[in-house]
Amino acid sequence: MAARGALLKYLKVNVTSVPRNPTSAAGGDTGLFSVAFNAVRRRFSTEEVRGSFLDKSEVSDRVISVVKNFQKVDPSQVTLNAHFQNDLGLDSLDTVEIVMALEEEFGFEIPDNEADKISSINLAVDFIASHPQAK
Amino acid sequence: MVSMSLAAPTRTEILGLYRSLLRTAREFCDYNIREYTKRRTADGFRQNQNLTDPDSIFSVYQEGKNQLALAKRQSVVYSLYAPKVKSVMELDAANVITTNTSN
Repeated sequence: MAARGALLKYLKVNVTSVPRNPTSAAGGDTGLFSVAFNAVRRRFSTEEVRGSFLDKSEVSDRVISVVKNFQKVDPSQVTLNAHFQNDLGLDSLDTVEIVMALEEEFGFEIPDNEADKISSINLAVDFIASHPQAK
Repeated sequence: MVSMSLAAPTRTEILGLYRSLLRTAREFCDYNIREYTKRRTADGFRQNQNLTDPDSIFSVYQEGKNQLALAKRQSVVYSLYAPKVKSVMELDAANVITTNTSN
């Protein structure tokens, strides 16, 4: 009961602070409210980000290990900046296979128009790190 | 007359067909059929990758599309008769060791 009361009080402050912020010009308590509101908002948004997007360094490690495990690739040449066709000597069919392997690794489906654009390790890492369904 | 309405497929269409075939191959629940379909797809595209004649490109593309339709149909049919035990190739090493030591 005490916790519920505290929670309601906590929420009430936030809700009332939203419409008050833009209207009151330079009130003494506006600064306090806006700071509290922004802190809450920042905390929620970072939690959301952590929950749905993968860490970029983890993504690049996993992408590199997938590419290294690909039959036709020389593992010593796989770097973060490697281009599939120019640096690793793969062709367009191999690129399709690598993108399919990345789909299996990260457990989500990459649509055809996006898959066509992934031609290097960097692009793959960027796309996967910005995709909320990757896991 | 022969090549009148036979427009050769574009590069994007061919890669799209390749991707669709590999995606459909993943649907098969039987390890052997799944791996065979992947292998057959890759081999087929490799075999025809140097074709230049638009007519023959068109005909192998049509064949690929027919095979895709067939694979889609069969993956549904086979899912109704899924094997009850996994192939030994699908077991991971840790699993095999525990079953062996427990016997």
